[in-house]
Amino acid sequence: MIGADLSILIPEIVLAVFAMAAMLAAVYTSKDAVAPALTWGTALIFVVMAFYIAVTGEGVRVGFNGGFVDDGFARFAKITILLSAAAILIVGIEFMQKSDLLRFEYPILVTLSVIGMMVMVSSGDLIVLYVGLELQSLALYVIASLRRDSVRSTEAGLKYFILGALSSGLLLYGASLVYGFAGTTQFAGIIETATAGEMPVGLLIGLVFLISGLAFKVSAAPFHMWTPDVYEGAPTPVTALLATAPKVAAVALFARVVHDAFGGAVGEWQQVVALLAVLSMFLGSIAAIGQTDIKRLMAYSSIGHMGFALMGLAAGTEQGVEAMLIYIAIYVTMNIGTFSFILSMEKDGRHVTDISALSSFASREGGKALALLVLMFSLAGVPPLVGFFGKYAVLFAAVEAGMAWLAIAGVIASVIGAYYYLRIVYLMYFGEDREGLDGRMGLVTYAGLMAMAALIALAWLPGLNLLGLEGMAAAAAQTLVR
Amino acid sequence: METILLFAPLVGALVAGFGWRMIGQTGAQVAATAMLFLACILSWAVFLGFDGETYTVPLFTWIESGTLFTDWAIRIDRLTAIMLIVITSVSALVHLYSFGYMAHDENFKDGESYRPRFFAYLSFFTFAMLMLVTADNLLQLFFGWEGVGVASYLLIGFYFRKPSAGAAAMKAFIVNRVGDFGFLLGIFALFWMTDSIQFDVILPMGAELAQMTITFLGMELNAAETIAFLLFIGAMGKSAQLLLHTWLPDAMEGPTPVSALIHAATMVTAGVFLVCRMSPIIEYAPMAGNFIIIIGAVTAFFAATVGLVQNDIKRVIAYSTCSQLGYMFVAAGVGVYSVAMFHLFTHAFFKAMLFLGAGSVIHAMHHEQDMRNYGGLRKKIPLTFWAMMIGTLAITGVGIPTTYFGFAGFFSKDAVVESAFAFGGDLGQFAFWSLIVAAVFTSFYSWRLIFLTFFGEPRGSKHTHEHAHESPWTMLAPLGVLAVGAVFSGVVWYNSFFGHTDEVGRFFGVPYAQEEHVEEGAHGATDEAHAAADTHATESAESAEGDHGYAHYNLVGAPGEGAIHAAPDNNILNEAHEVPYWVKWSPFFAMLLGFVVAFWFYIVNPSLPRRLAESQRPLYQFLLNKWYFDEAYDFLFVRPARALGRFLWKGGDGAVIDGGINGLALGIIPFFTRLAGRAQSGYIFTYAFAMVLGLVVLVTWVTLRAGG
Amino acid sequence: MTIGLEHYLTVAAALFVIGIFGIFLNRKNVIVILMSIELMLLAVNINLVAFSAFLGDLTGQVFTLFVLTVAAAEAAIGLAILVCFFRNRGTIAVEDVSNMKG
Repeated sequence: MIGADLSILIPEIVLAVFAMAAMLAAVYTSKDAVAPALTWGTALIFVVMAFYIAVTGEGVRVGFNGGFVDDGFARFAKITILLSAAAILIVGIEFMQKSDLLRFEYPILVTLSVIGMMVMVSSGDLIVLYVGLELQSLALYVIASLRRDSVRSTEAGLKYFILGALSSGLLLYGASLVYGFAGTTQFAGIIETATAGEMPVGLLIGLVFLISGLAFKVSAAPFHMWTPDVYEGAPTPVTALLATAPKVAAVALFARVVHDAFGGAVGEWQQVVALLAVLSMFLGSIAAIGQTDIKRLMAYSSIGHMGFALMGLAAGTEQGVEAMLIYIAIYVTMNIGTFSFILSMEKDGRHVTDISALSSFASREGGKALALLVLMFSLAGVPPLVGFFGKYAVLFAAVEAGMAWLAIAGVIASVIGAYYYLRIVYLMYFGEDREGLDGRMGLVTYAGLMAMAALIALAWLPGLNLLGLEGMAAAAAQTLVR
Repeated sequence: METILLFAPLVGALVAGFGWRMIGQTGAQVAATAMLFLACILSWAVFLGFDGETYTVPLFTWIESGTLFTDWAIRIDRLTAIMLIVITSVSALVHLYSFGYMAHDENFKDGESYRPRFFAYLSFFTFAMLMLVTADNLLQLFFGWEGVGVASYLLIGFYFRKPSAGAAAMKAFIVNRVGDFGFLLGIFALFWMTDSIQFDVILPMGAELAQMTITFLGMELNAAETIAFLLFIGAMGKSAQLLLHTWLPDAMEGPTPVSALIHAATMVTAGVFLVCRMSPIIEYAPMAGNFIIIIGAVTAFFAATVGLVQNDIKRVIAYSTCSQLGYMFVAAGVGVYSVAMFHLFTHAFFKAMLFLGAGSVIHAMHHEQDMRNYGGLRKKIPLTFWAMMIGTLAITGVGIPTTYFGFAGFFSKDAVVESAFAFGGDLGQFAFWSLIVAAVFTSFYSWRLIFLTFFGEPRGSKHTHEHAHESPWTMLAPLGVLAVGAVFSGVVWYNSFFGHTDEVGRFFGVPYAQEEHVEEGAHGATDEAHAAADTHATESAESAEGDHGYAHYNLVGAPGEGAIHAAPDNNILNEAHEVPYWVKWSPFFAMLLGFVVAFWFYIVNPSLPRRLAESQRPLYQFLLNKWYFDEAYDFLFVRPARALGRFLWKGGDGAVIDGGINGLALGIIPFFTRLAGRAQSGYIFTYAFAMVLGLVVLVTWVTLRAGG
Repeated sequence: MTIGLEHYLTVAAALFVIGIFGIFLNRKNVIVILMSIELMLLAVNINLVAFSAFLGDLTGQVFTLFVLTVAAAEAAIGLAILVCFFRNRGTIAVEDVSNMKG
């Protein structure tokens, strides 16, 4: 019996064993010298696990008395998490080596964090949810302050930690209320109480606390404040990681909680999520305008994008979840490409993140500038690039769910947001300053940038149909929303 | 074959337009012209090989959206076949002609390569026009319709350095928008009522549409009437009918080959084509039909009067075109679509010829267009003179009534006049007399043009007259070919267009039956004919022909069957053959009268016109200023529009929108940006406080909502 | 007077609010923030145990054990990061953790 339960957990167990073994191996060998190989190996095992999940997973399997759920939705999220984390690990290697940051702890911590994310998206119980969330967060706090000798990096870690702990506290308090008023920590049990008649106020307040805690993880306004500081202070590869895999996990967890545990009471949380979405979209767009640091700008950009993803969730329908998954997958792809570029931003051999360094970049490096242009246009949602289809999906879902006002707000926010993306393009192509970035770029980073840009530029073509993303997301959403 | 025919001009246009740097200017010209001749040969092959049976050649799917399903497809029926040869023949000849005409142009500086552009536009126009006539649905037709509009715009404004050319191009485009608006509404209405824009679907529904009503703004409108009326609005714009005619004379700012191709032979007849194409619906809209007759008749008369006093050689011909289009619409309005197409067909030849002849004169006279500066050119440019003579004989309708001797225009114009008379009633009489008077005027101004240009003493610049020279062969050859058409196109196809009903029916692929059958019961005959549609004639019709040799037939095709349609009670084609003899002779006398007066005015007593103009000053000014239509429109539409535009520009756009956007973009949003930046203080306690505040707000809101 | 569920919940809520206030009212020392976080988690534990006893369901107590464990890990990591920060910055005053803003 326990064997059946464990078989559901195989990917997580494999990764955990790998992390432990790697730690032991690194400690008893030459330590940091094995780090590059270990990083590559970790990325490889992520990809293998992603394939394993894609190939073996089918149907809905529930283990540990409903505590752990392996369904299409979880698999979609896990595959996205694993692949994006692997991509970020690979494109970050050169940067980490150059700045002497590539210690063996890094891939191990990433692995632990990824395990946490995988547990999160599969959770069917508040306890499992909490443990997964904490595993993910604790590893990320450490990674954020990976550059131990830097004030900014450690400050980023400290801020992330304190605010993260606060949000965990909120979430936990909500969980305790939910447990008290529903009598169980299992989602399957909670949904019965939530749908039976009028929802107890205690349960409702518990739900709001839970949502607040989750909103912190997806960095939705007004729980977003940590994002810009942590993104700026953390080493760039870590920033890239923070902007991708944990976001997928957090959004997926958000969807799982509101649909699996509170699916029958859509009316109760829909407005809250919609409010978070609107605030995030506008804050992301407006605050980003004033930024001069591209990592900070990407932080606000991710806040805005999370607003859009939450818009899909706010629709409260299967279509909405599908749109959210499409959006998040596309967002991750765009971010991997953009961060590949940011990782390679160097001036006189030093890493710079100032936007003005991009000035007149296109006149020197036409190809890379074009790739970044594609990514920026896509982030702004310019048709026909893939980013537009993500926006279109969530807007459409919101309209279909009768939340036209939300969709209109989204359109306005994206128009405002387009400004700062286009400003980067403007700087690259029409910037006056001749003193700019060195053109050098490592092979892997270059490959990452070009591959993502090509994907974004071409995947919408009729024959490719977003590489079947819509079908996969639809299948995933179907298993979540019943 | 049809596909090659359709796309050859497009290929020519693309090669000439984009590839001329590779193949050279002359290469581009040759390529475009060769493509057109290819299309022309194929068109004649299609026309002569066509057996009356409508068929479509699907190209590819265009739009599939809900119930709207549209293919790109080529629909070939008799109407299309006629238009194909008209378009490609005239276009091919105009291409050839342009070799000579456009060889040197003082509107362009030395070294400027305008010729490939000109040929590319011409070929593109031809492609769009072919798309229009081969369309098998209204959307494709509209695509071609707008395509020719664009090409027309580009070509009218070809001399882009001339402000007048630019203005004329804009005028043509804008006036056409008015018509296109009606046309679009018509398409929408049709789609709304029938759920389709495919001709195969909508044309058979004519009779049903007559039973339906459209409710609009509380008004109950008959569907067929409304649709027919709206479509005709579109046709009015394109075919320069009264009220929407003002652009056509101004369009003469374009190079003369353009005037010949677009503004005489092809594009302006698109409206007539549209009305004929939609005949199964127009037939069931008698009021719209009457409206078409009135507009056509009044236009024919109006344009002819204005043509009397114009001095610019091209404007005279332009008004003549306008007037002849009126003739065509009268024929279509009374329900004899074959005759409308007949006049369209012959008119294309002689009008293109007149324009090209005028171009030849203008070319000889170094781009002088004022006829008052011509005179005595007969000796200098004899070949052009003879070409113009043939054209004039054709347009004035010279021929001997009741026989088969005459120029092309003679047959078709007589057919129109007789049809109008046969329509009967006050409206028929009105149309008939308008057309007769217009015929007098037509004859007068056409001969006036000849006399002023080729006879009398040379006037104007002596230098120009001394250097007047005959045009090169590339310009004369098209004139020769068109002359053949202007002479023979009437007599050869007379029976097909306006012969006995059975011949017309066979030509257009419409089933027909002997009249007795119809009297037994129109429905039975219709069904029977419908069943036998493939053979084009019922057996009884065959035997009846054998018995009598001269039997009466009626077109009994169901709507949408064959190229044109005649309602069951539409017998005008037969009646037109039995009009009194004086009616048959009247166009002849009208022609004669116009000729005599013109001869008297400009050969016998050349001072008379001036004295007449001075004695009848108000009338002369009225005509010279084209009935003051431009001035009235200027007052009614242009100035208010300009005032409104200025108001919206300065007040609306400048103050409100620019101000608003700038205010938003430069004021409010940066304010919020600064605010957001200040909120992001960097202190942990601020962040924590924001989170807690957000939580409190959410909890309060949710609890209040749950409680209340 | 019998001590009922509501009393436990009130105490827990009070502790939780004190913990929250400790985070954003305190401007002196980051250590105090760590203590406040601990306070919040313990408040949650009281909640969970009280509910567990009230419902007669062990899950709440199991949850409590997990929270305790995670809280310990959290404290360890928090202190480690704080030590790193102190080495770089030379201070652990909350007001000095503000290099990045805007």
